[in-house]
Amino acid sequence: LFPGVRQAQWLTKTKLVEGLPPAVQGIVDNPAHGLQELEERAKQAVSHARLWDTAEVAPRRERYCPVLFENLIHICRLMSGKYPSLSKRMLARNCRIAATWERESILLQVRGLSGILMNSTTPIPPVASKEEILATKEHVLETFYPIAPTIDLQEVNVYKELNDTGQCFGDGYPYSHPHTLFFLESANVRTDRFRPEQLRAKMLMFAFGNALAKAKALHGDDPKVLEQPVVVQSIGTDGQLFQFMVFQLNTTDLVSNDGVKNLVWIDSDQNLYEKAQCVPEVKKRVVTKPAGISGFQPDTFKKFLALYLHGTV
Amino acid sequence: MAALGARRLLQPGRRWFSETVSGAPSPPASPLYPPVVASVTAKSKAAKSRRLQRFNERVHAAATVEEKLRLYGKLQRPKYMVYPQTFALNADRWYRSFTKTVLVPGMPPRAAAAKLPVAAAGTTPEDGRVPNPGAEAPRAVEAPGTAEAPAAAKTPEPAAGAAPYLDMGELRSLACDALLQESFYQNKKRPFLYRDQDHTPGPFLTQLVSTLAAFLSGRNPLLAASSLDLNPEVNYYWHHGEEVVVHGHRKGRVDPVRFQIDDNPHLQIRVPKQLPKVVPLESDLGDVPVIDHKPSKLPLFKKQYENKVFTGSKVADPCCYGHTQFHLLPDKLKRERFIRERLEDQIEVVYRSNGIASLFAWTAAQAMYQGFWSEADVTRPFVSQAVVTDGKYFAFFCYQLNTLALTAETIKNNPRKNICWGTDSKPLYDVVEDGNVKGFNDEVLLQLVRFLLNRPKEL
Repeated sequence: LFPGVRQAQWLTKTKLVEGLPPAVQGIVDNPAHGLQELEERAKQAVSHARLWDTAEVAPRRERYCPVLFENLIHICRLMSGKYPSLSKRMLARNCRIAATWERESILLQVRGLSGILMNSTTPIPPVASKEEILATKEHVLETFYPIAPTIDLQEVNVYKELNDTGQCFGDGYPYSHPHTLFFLESANVRTDRFRPEQLRAKMLMFAFGNALAKAKALHGDDPKVLEQPVVVQSIGTDGQLFQFMVFQLNTTDLVSNDGVKNLVWIDSDQNLYEKAQCVPEVKKRVVTKPAGISGFQPDTFKKFLALYLHGTV
Repeated sequence: MAALGARRLLQPGRRWFSETVSGAPSPPASPLYPPVVASVTAKSKAAKSRRLQRFNERVHAAATVEEKLRLYGKLQRPKYMVYPQTFALNADRWYRSFTKTVLVPGMPPRAAAAKLPVAAAGTTPEDGRVPNPGAEAPRAVEAPGTAEAPAAAKTPEPAAGAAPYLDMGELRSLACDALLQESFYQNKKRPFLYRDQDHTPGPFLTQLVSTLAAFLSGRNPLLAASSLDLNPEVNYYWHHGEEVVVHGHRKGRVDPVRFQIDDNPHLQIRVPKQLPKVVPLESDLGDVPVIDHKPSKLPLFKKQYENKVFTGSKVADPCCYGHTQFHLLPDKLKRERFIRERLEDQIEVVYRSNGIASLFAWTAAQAMYQGFWSEADVTRPFVSQAVVTDGKYFAFFCYQLNTLALTAETIKNNPRKNICWGTDSKPLYDVVEDGNVKGFNDEVLLQLVRFLLNRPKEL
């Protein structure tokens, strides 16, 4: 019910910054990466996913959302011809994530299938400078008095406090740093899908969970301020609208309400295209809307690619 | 009626008598009477052939390819459903006779001759990550490595082109990483009953192909413009041979035998430019098996439904030519089952029939997307490749479509045959235990890499 991101912020002790961090924005604006030529390919990818993929007239969302995602990832992966270190990434589907933490004497846990995770061998360097991190000390977390912050959360009796990004991965896994999480809202029925606000909250919680588990694996279980902040990115989409998020975990000391906070940059509600017309719309024998993709926004794809390249470029 | 008829006979008769024969017959500018042709609606063989001819003219005259495909598959009748992945005994002989294909064992000559410069055993894969893979891998690569090294050293630099050496170690580590992630590192739930293939080999194949394709896209510009489909649909509908309708209201009529392939490869790569031909269009590399029995003896069953022709995406897609398909064999066709039933020789048949049927359907659908069909035969050969695997054993196939004319009339004077090159299945690795891949076979990986690097000469 709630502006879910604000609740998620309180639960994860995070400060919100609108827009993408300057490092990622720099990759978007940098012409050396050849993002212009990829526009045409991105448009073809969208057309393929929305128009051409099936022998029927129009593919359904359950089909075109994953196909669109695969096509975009394929274009991004092909950049590894140019940047060989991009091949040090691995996609993992259907991984289960579990992380536990305490927040003002309430024990919280994040569990579940977290969509598609991309791992890499090298961690993403911290996005915010030390000053910004220290500046978050002054930031006061919003409380929702009189509504308890744990509203709408399921209360469960937890017998085992699990802490694995459990990863869903054993030891010695070479691609041990979570890089980006992808969430695809591909249910056909609108009510089964998350609304953008809820999707952003879900992305934040899972990114936080992954980052926390990684931090605990690296630095141990004691709550403290991290020397090397852990950065995890997250992209959520329903096939047309994209939400981009970069989360930086600065501290695992989550019990108290003050001190250094975590940071999250959110770029929300980016449309990749306006409308995908499968059959031309004809009114009174005149074609009003031709078939095809209209209103293609290359910037959204550039941001997608920039988040993919972030950390290796 | 009779009186009327008599009067009518009289009138022209009178005119005939009264008319004097006119002067020299002036040659008419256009024929006075329309050409005498068979009727369209009569129940006769001539009428039937006239109807067929009119249908052919309609398809020839269709404005767009979509219209052509629509007319081609408009009439629905019961047809045999051909499954590329089948347990039928000796299915590959039957499929070859249905599609007029010659099977040539081994790989086509150009693929074997293109000796890729491979980095010698000097580059060891990155070790220290997984507890000693390095100990296994150099030993495995030692023997082929030392054989390669003198060959690579002798290959002059210009022949290798501007491409640097292909780093076998890098590729091997990519493949091993994909394998280990899927089978060892990722904690998955237990596989569902009889769904083993979706649990491990499926994701492994997806990972392997996507990472290899991305890695090799720097060398192969065709891959850089390619489109990767996951779980696409490939359909093709064709006629071959004739039979007499057995029962029903159409009993006794001579009908073409109709076939339909509906295939779901695990993965396919489509490209905007066609792969180069392997041998000229009219080459004859062997014989097509002739089978005297009805197709239903295979066993093959008939059903009537939509006649689809589909390559994986619609005609409007710029990536309309096929490059490589990857097929995953289901649990029903795993090797242990065949060995248990003492049918070891059928294991290879499974791979071959899958390769032939799927590739025929794909190349023929690509040809139809370019406007060719059984009455308008292809003017250039269509080439595609496929890899059939069950997760561990890989078999490679390359298909060249030379002719689409398989119907009873068009096959009479058609000397062309389709050609399929295929290998036997070889294992990629022996076993995975404790974070190690034991017995990794570089040959298989190299063949896969050669497949992915295949491109037209201009690029």
